[in-house]
Amino acid sequence: MAYKKVKRMSLFMRINHWVVAICMVAAIATGLYIGHPYYQTLIADLAVDKYVMAWNRWIHFMAAIIFDVSSIVVAYLYFFSRFEKAYKKLIPNGENIKEFGDVLVNLMTLNRVKKFDSTHADSFNAVFFFIFHLMLLWMLLTGLQLYVHAFPHGESSIGAWWPTMLHLATDWTVWITGGTYMDVRISHHNTMYWIIAWVMFHIYYQVWRTLFWQEGDINIVVGGSKFVKEDKEKSN
Amino acid sequence: MSDRRDALTKLFSAKGAKVDTNRGEAYYEALMNRMSARLQSLETSNLAMKSSIERALDAQGLTRRDFMKWASAMCAMLMLPSQFTPLVAQAATLMNRVPVIWIELQDCAGNSEAILRSDAPTIDELILDVLSLEFNETIMAAAGHQAEEHLEEAMKTFKGKYLCVVEGAVPIGAGREWCTIGAKGETFEEHLKRVAKDSAAVVAVGTCATFGGVPAASPNPTGAVGVQDVVRGKPIINIPACPANPANITGTILHFVLTGQIPELDHLNRPKFAFGYRIHDNCERRAHFDAGEFVEEWGDEGAKNNFCLYKMGCKGPMTFNNCSIVRYNEAVNWPIGSGHGCIGCSEPQFWDKYATERPLADSRIKAPTGGVEKSVDEFGLGLLTAAGIGIAIHAVASASAAKVESEEA
Ligand code: HEM
Ligand code: SF4
Repeated sequence: MAYKKVKRMSLFMRINHWVVAICMVAAIATGLYIGHPYYQTLIADLAVDKYVMAWNRWIHFMAAIIFDVSSIVVAYLYFFSRFEKAYKKLIPNGENIKEFGDVLVNLMTLNRVKKFDSTHADSFNAVFFFIFHLMLLWMLLTGLQLYVHAFPHGESSIGAWWPTMLHLATDWTVWITGGTYMDVRISHHNTMYWIIAWVMFHIYYQVWRTLFWQEGDINIVVGGSKFVKEDKEKSN
Repeated sequence: MSDRRDALTKLFSAKGAKVDTNRGEAYYEALMNRMSARLQSLETSNLAMKSSIERALDAQGLTRRDFMKWASAMCAMLMLPSQFTPLVAQAATLMNRVPVIWIELQDCAGNSEAILRSDAPTIDELILDVLSLEFNETIMAAAGHQAEEHLEEAMKTFKGKYLCVVEGAVPIGAGREWCTIGAKGETFEEHLKRVAKDSAAVVAVGTCATFGGVPAASPNPTGAVGVQDVVRGKPIINIPACPANPANITGTILHFVLTGQIPELDHLNRPKFAFGYRIHDNCERRAHFDAGEFVEEWGDEGAKNNFCLYKMGCKGPMTFNNCSIVRYNEAVNWPIGSGHGCIGCSEPQFWDKYATERPLADSRIKAPTGGVEKSVDEFGLGLLTAAGIGIAIHAVASASAAKVESEEA
């Protein structure tokens, strides 16, 4: 019986994925340091020469900026990707809801029941990633709100438009989280844990699919393709 | 909060705390003329004056030179060009022509104390001393019915002209009846509304009066709120901090004397000239923050070397006030200078959310759903443990019972 190779992610999308993964690790490691500096500066140098917190913040913001750009690209791909236009799988119509349920049933019955086409990205997949992108967007908005506090004078090295724009775009996060800057910070920190939990399940699920579906799913994000059985291709 | 105080305007209100300090000659010329005219009219008015700043300065052995030095510093603080210094000085001598009614609600009188109780009063404090204080429960001799008569009379005489200074939070919840004032048993809320009604503007002094402060801390048994949540239709100026810096109170009242108007305010109704600075940006320990050099424990080597207090719970990065610049008691010192982190006392809900004496990650804070207090990291580790257990159960079940797609399906 033959397997057919289906292309799932372009080279660009795969690079994007790994850039996001690296940024995630960097943002978490540095974010936790910012929240509670967990190692000591062990350099016997004057304060002016070593920038341990400053570097952590720098890396955090760089990871954040790369994140932001990649998120905008991903948002674009939701609508215009050549492969899977993810938004089509997000619309809560009968077909998508059924598919979402079927994939969930597959996971819960330990792959004993599998009533959907695993060739393409399914609805469950789309919703799962959409949640991730919402959380990322939230990190972006709360992070930028924390960041704009460093410009109380309303000026920045690239002009006054930058803090003004950040205020317009993110001030509402203060009122939504509880009315103080501390609440924004708490939410930024808390959301990190939801993201880590998301990543845990994400990795587990990709490995699980690879092991039990036997379609080489893990290769989607490495080689860009997976395999599906020829006959199944036809039957669906 | 009552009708979510103009929620929409707030949403888009934070234009930053920038005060434009270069508005061109025409603007400042017009402003100067306006101020001179106002001071002129105050000078000739027959409003009350009991003591004068000249006499108070004399009594403290302060010279005219000291006074002028103070005036030029105050001029800079109010973000006016230096040619306004004489006007500022003149306004200071006329501070006793602006009647002030100072009421106290749920508070510790700490703001009054900060002004009155210094053994070598600063000029800021002296000026507040010679204000035409028509009514102040803490320092006046009268009591009971006599005091109430004073209040009535002051409110009638200076109707529409007096500044209503409020110290302390307003209980409006189930516990409001525990706090009454005067022989008629007026609640604090009624008292405040009555006095604020005929005032020219309301100045909320200290964090209790601005945001509810300590009385409003969880579980807030009296339902305490700030003045701005109770008083409507009056200009309100918030001067938070615990206690409010006398320099900022003087600056605000001086601004009112000079212009008859309230200073430019930020989105929390705080004067921008005072609250447009972040503590962290002007802190003398900032180099140690960037270097990652932190005090780990009270009295350790780091503390002896003036390292950053972030890990001891300093909230300077999220707090806006000018204490790192103006300091307290004639710039002698301020909390971080004396070795204790900032507790965010000029921010809303500071007691519950800032003054935890720990970095945020370790602060025990009530979950949004209520219930037990946890730090974010405790909550996070709980969440990750739950996720881990779920995954482990699924993995074990899969390993033993899952169907592996076979080659020949
Ligand atoms: C998934 C991505 C991110 C993670 C996991 C993350 C995590 C964290 C954590 C744990 C903190 C410490 C909070 C505390 O306890 O005080 C933090 C602080 C911060 N983050 Fe993020 N963050 C992320 C993305 C972003 C983004 C997109 C921005 C946007 C600029 C950002 C800006 C900031 C800022 C400004 C701070 C406060 C730093 C300071 O005050 O020195 N973060 N982050
Ligand atoms: S002591 Fe507080 S305000 Fe000063 S640098 Fe450290 S964190 Fe910032």
